[in-house]
Amino acid sequence: MRKATISKALFIMMLMMFLVLAACSSGSDDADDSSSDEGNGESEDTGSDSEDTDGKVYDIADFSPIKEGEPMDGGNLNFGLVADSVFAGTLNYNFYSDAYDSEIIDWFDEGLLSVDDTFNYTQDGAATWEVNDEGNEFTFTIRDEVNWHDGEPVTAEDWEFAIEVLADPDYDGPRYGDVTSIVGAEEYHDGEADSIEGLEVIDDKTLKMTFKHATPSLLSGGIWGYALPKHIFEDIPVADMSSSDEVRVNPIGMGPFKVESITPGESVTFSKNEDYWKGEPNLDTVTLKVIAPETVTQALETGEVDMVDSFPTDQYPDVEESLTNVEFLGTLDRSYSYVGFKMGTWDKENGKVAMDLENSKVGDVELRRAMWYALDNNAVGERFYNGLRWNATTLMPSFYENYHDDSIETPTYDPDKANQILDDAGYEDVDGDGFRENPDGEELVLNYASMEGGDTAEPLTNYYIQSWEQIGIKVEKTDGRLLEFNDFYDRIGQQGNDDPDIDIYSAAWSVGTDVDPTGLWGPNVIYNFTRWEDEENTRLLEEGVSEEAMDLEYREDVYKEWQEYMVDQVPVFPTVYRAKLAPVNERVVNWDIRDEATELERYEVGVTQDEPVVAE
Amino acid sequence: MEADIAKMKEQKSPSAINILLRELFRDKLALVSLIFLILITAFVFGISIFLDKNEIVSVDLFAINTPPSDQFILGTDYGGRDVFGQLIIGTRNSLAIGILVTLISGVFGIAYGVISGYFGGQIDNVLMRVIDFFMVLPFLMIIIVFVSMTRDYSVVTFSLIMAAFSWMGIARLIRSKALQEKELDYAQASKTLGTSNFNIIFKQVLPNITSLIIVTMTLNLAANIGLESGLSFLGFGFPEDTPSLGTLLSYATNPQTLEFRWWIWAPAAILILLLMLAVRNVGEALRRAADARQRRG
Repeated sequence: MRKATISKALFIMMLMMFLVLAACSSGSDDADDSSSDEGNGESEDTGSDSEDTDGKVYDIADFSPIKEGEPMDGGNLNFGLVADSVFAGTLNYNFYSDAYDSEIIDWFDEGLLSVDDTFNYTQDGAATWEVNDEGNEFTFTIRDEVNWHDGEPVTAEDWEFAIEVLADPDYDGPRYGDVTSIVGAEEYHDGEADSIEGLEVIDDKTLKMTFKHATPSLLSGGIWGYALPKHIFEDIPVADMSSSDEVRVNPIGMGPFKVESITPGESVTFSKNEDYWKGEPNLDTVTLKVIAPETVTQALETGEVDMVDSFPTDQYPDVEESLTNVEFLGTLDRSYSYVGFKMGTWDKENGKVAMDLENSKVGDVELRRAMWYALDNNAVGERFYNGLRWNATTLMPSFYENYHDDSIETPTYDPDKANQILDDAGYEDVDGDGFRENPDGEELVLNYASMEGGDTAEPLTNYYIQSWEQIGIKVEKTDGRLLEFNDFYDRIGQQGNDDPDIDIYSAAWSVGTDVDPTGLWGPNVIYNFTRWEDEENTRLLEEGVSEEAMDLEYREDVYKEWQEYMVDQVPVFPTVYRAKLAPVNERVVNWDIRDEATELERYEVGVTQDEPVVAE
Repeated sequence: MEADIAKMKEQKSPSAINILLRELFRDKLALVSLIFLILITAFVFGISIFLDKNEIVSVDLFAINTPPSDQFILGTDYGGRDVFGQLIIGTRNSLAIGILVTLISGVFGIAYGVISGYFGGQIDNVLMRVIDFFMVLPFLMIIIVFVSMTRDYSVVTFSLIMAAFSWMGIARLIRSKALQEKELDYAQASKTLGTSNFNIIFKQVLPNITSLIIVTMTLNLAANIGLESGLSFLGFGFPEDTPSLGTLLSYATNPQTLEFRWWIWAPAAILILLLMLAVRNVGEALRRAADARQRRG
């Protein structure tokens, strides 16, 4: 219940942020070196020798996501926000757009609705709800004891006000899309109505929301659950809200901690909110500061910070032993890396994908499948990431326990099979240059866009190119180098200006709390970078959010079918799933790093002693 | 009579090249530096003919971050790539870029400066304002922008971009020298005799400032090698599969590599230091030679 609703906009934004953070490199322990006393004659074998000696492989199952204990009363916690740059400081759920800001807001504000471990809304949050039989009309009741930090009660009007602000034409944040599902929100946005038809304040604490369609997505993060204190923001014009002092200097919330002071871009001090509705927090104060990724290890070692929001997993093997004062928590990350194939462009006028298989070099599904068979992702995971990433199978990571289907057979490393597929499909080396030509006998050179970011980006890209070379597919890097992150996304089409030269690309995707994958695969979404459109795919996507899909089992079946279909069609293929690690000082207890955490809440976090434990 | 002629021959002042060489041989440090430079250059260019670049930059999943051993003299990096091979190719690339940039910017800058200085007047005025314009540009930033914009990216394009923003210094220097030279009697006499401007510039003025050119270009070479390494270090130079000394050095930005895996970045760092020092030593000796008051020989 720490994070109640995680919206779709956050989902998209997380993709962006996450790509920045997607750094990872493997490191092997340098202490052991068995190959040094071998003769040159055995150099052939040395490769396999080092396999036994230097590659420590970890398994995410060995990590606990949770640290429990008996805290002392009070105390101060130092929290490190790992970031290369300063945080933007838009500290309100209704306005922020930056993952760092959200990390800060989580300390002092929270959603009215809480979720369970499958991200469906529960009745344990600050608001409880009832739904009608059709599933499109919700009646929320806010608990009486829920107050803003200034003592004013959180009311149904505050909630209505938040949604009105998001739908206001002057609203300058990224969340309008989260409320369009409410009846009348679009009319309000276009100025055709004075109020939102689907919102009805019944009394001080009761709000009724009517949605256009009943879909299972509503219950898993599809409802905007963040109120905005009307008594504070009432007099501020909507256009000025996001830059107002009430958002940037004295932000207010209803969470377990209050903002004490902010040093813009650098740090935030919180003190406990004794009036918090779930109970008094354990800690007296929390100090949050920005830490550069390069100095995380040092800061943890000296106890300068007790914990950080995310730890660069590539550093883990090197520091695992030296950080004796820290326990590493770990869990599955919600993201996966994938290789995508460009099969068309974006039709800006109609706002839909324009697939063109004829002219796409990768329009042939056999070629795409062979390229999947060519990659040894288990070796990549073990060698580059020490087992903290591993071979991905379907497009729904195992993070979605209900939906992920283990039983689907997906291509794994098998170069012979890849060659076989290509031979059968007519890709043959006609001119004898070592690379295959396409079935028409024309030269086939694929242009591969890959993004810089993180240490292993370059060797990994080259490894993929080499692997494809092994099966005779010639692949060249776009511009002969890795692309800068913004340039990369522009060119694969985040604004719809697809670079026609790009044939394949690799990127990463952070999945939302709602399992519905339309945001990446629908025919009308710009983030469908492959520009692949398919009737069956569209049908399955629609089925997944239809009314029948309110039935969990039905929905599971639909998405299992979808996963299988995507494995069959290979518009993209996932390469690796990821783990995330979070180091926590020995003195910190009751911390849970899972997004879907339900057992421990933020107000329960505590410390066991006044001073942080320092590494020996 | 014959004795007189012989005596006159003896007194003929030595040529500029002779002075430069003599000064080099007098200064032992410069001589050692020169030999070191020649050896390194010959070695990296020679041996890289036999090295297979694709072999060296190919990723080997099973040899990641191996410390120096018999198989890998200087170990491997995080892609399992041989650091020694990368060092050789990297030195070659860095040197090639340094030399190329120095030559391109040198040739252009000299032509520009001589023309500006020789003709003087309005031409000089306009040309100098153009230089002023280029000098106020934050050239490092602009190079970075151009590097990110260039789609077809190679040693040549990189050198051209760098050269486009590093010719101003030498142009100004040559221009001031040309201003002096054209006032001298020999230039004036030639002019009076009707020699064409082209001939005066390239056959008379330029040879007289050769020593200055050699000295400046040598010192520029060191600066350009440094600039290339710096850009690659910042990530705006070559991609990692085109190694240069700067890309090798930039591995050290990873704190773990810096702390635990010295063999990846230390050799490149030492080599950059030695190369710059050597070029500098030679350049300093040449500079002294070009200035009669500082000469040792």
